[in-house]
Amino acid sequence: MQYILNLLLNQIFTQPFLLMAIVVFIGYMAMGQKFSKALIGACKAAIGILVMGLGSGPLSTNFGHLLTVLKESTGLQGAGLNTYTTMTASIARIDGVLGDGVGTSWCLYCLLLGFIFNIILVALRKYTRIKAIYLTGNCMICQCGISVFLVWHFLGTSMIPTIIIAAILTALYWGIFSTMLIEPTKQITGGANLTIAHQNMLMDWVSWKVAPKIGNPEVDDIEKKKLPKGLGFLQDSVLATLLVMFISTAIIMLVCGSSGLERMHELFTAGSAYKNPFIFLVWISVTLTANLWVLLAGVRMFVSELMMSFKGISEKLLPGAVAGVDCAAIYGFAPKSVVFGFLVGTVGQLLAVALLVIFKSPIVLIPGFIPLFFDNATVGIFANKFGGWKALVLICFFNGLIQIFGSALVVAMTNLSWWQGVSDYSTIWLAITWILKTVGGLIGITPVG
Amino acid sequence: MINIVCVCHNGMGTSMLAKINISNICQANNIDANVDACAHGEVMSFLPMTDVIITTPEIVEFIPKSDVKIIITKNILDKEETEELLVTCVKEYFPGSIG
Repeated sequence: MQYILNLLLNQIFTQPFLLMAIVVFIGYMAMGQKFSKALIGACKAAIGILVMGLGSGPLSTNFGHLLTVLKESTGLQGAGLNTYTTMTASIARIDGVLGDGVGTSWCLYCLLLGFIFNIILVALRKYTRIKAIYLTGNCMICQCGISVFLVWHFLGTSMIPTIIIAAILTALYWGIFSTMLIEPTKQITGGANLTIAHQNMLMDWVSWKVAPKIGNPEVDDIEKKKLPKGLGFLQDSVLATLLVMFISTAIIMLVCGSSGLERMHELFTAGSAYKNPFIFLVWISVTLTANLWVLLAGVRMFVSELMMSFKGISEKLLPGAVAGVDCAAIYGFAPKSVVFGFLVGTVGQLLAVALLVIFKSPIVLIPGFIPLFFDNATVGIFANKFGGWKALVLICFFNGLIQIFGSALVVAMTNLSWWQGVSDYSTIWLAITWILKTVGGLIGITPVG
Repeated sequence: MINIVCVCHNGMGTSMLAKINISNICQANNIDANVDACAHGEVMSFLPMTDVIITTPEIVEFIPKSDVKIIITKNILDKEETEELLVTCVKEYFPGSIG
């Protein structure tokens, strides 16, 4: 008996790869799929979890070297902006104190509970007025990893309260904000029964409300204007990531000087042969991009299996609910706003990073493709649709500033080496982080991990 | 058996949901298919083993020229529209894969 209990608790239900496989397997069976299909899905999900670790481990080590050198040479605390690495960095902080696998299992339990809460909120829509089910699995898993970390870090809670509090916060965020976007999304898509469930929901809503006061969409609709071509290559996610890594690493190398470069050669043992600084720079940026790509490939493998069950279960239980989907689902309706929003937001972010350095902020941030592109493109679509290109320029620029300053404030509170960088996590989750920190402080908890 | 790939910007969210829809469409229409999802930056490596690509108008320009059939839909998550386009395409070019 003791043996079986130990087996279940310590070798199955706390082992992320098995836990994920079990969840996916049950999901498939609940949807009435064939046993073989459920088994294949479960295997792929288990492999995906391990592949994610193969990417996130080296990435956090290698990126950590860059941050260490930056800190040693300039005293600045650096952090990168990317959604998936923020999840793995949060999980690593939990694992660092409680042991390997704990963070990921908490994250998965929070995801399941949060999804159930979201279903309950929609089932009670008469009272809660929440009508949307958040189905963007790739965002959900990241958010849950971060939520459990924030609650555990600031409140010092044990497993069960951590998961429950984190799941409630996350489910409320999902339900409330994706419901707020049902109406404007309907107008953008011309009546499709879906809403945006991403990480830029507050700014999308603000754009809907504010843009009509800035400009007239009838006259200034960017979709009806001609735009110069040739910037398309920036939308290639792999290439853009490499470009951002290259520029950031180059700047760090320049700032840290020759002693910093020497220190980098010491830390990056695998690259110590690259004596030429330029080759070394190229090698570091390619390595970081490759690490990130492996991480994404892993997430992709289990997320698709997980989403399959989530989508099926919610459609079965709540036929009337509005599906909250990834923001890129509406990009086909406004391709020019996508590119223009992305470019303007990038200008805003770069200016904000420059301001951090000029005003001697102790924290500097390294922009990332996901917050730059997906946030600003989506906000851009809403701004242009309801206020034309002038609204787009103003709101996306402002969004770029918010992303950086908001994230810098969160990094100052959490000491994470990565943060989401997306606008909801620079506004709503900045507030939630601050509240958790304040509550923790009031009840006399010293942050753990 | 045909190989279908859904292509979006990052290969994580939209194309993943589209992949789920399309798997269901294939099942409902008895199309023997293997469905995958990727980012447009990675699509090159999928081309040699792909028969049909499903994507949105703003992404088409990033897809290299090849013999792969490309289905373009403004709303890649609209199940009815995608179903019609896909079934027409399969009937025309890959009739053997309908069981």
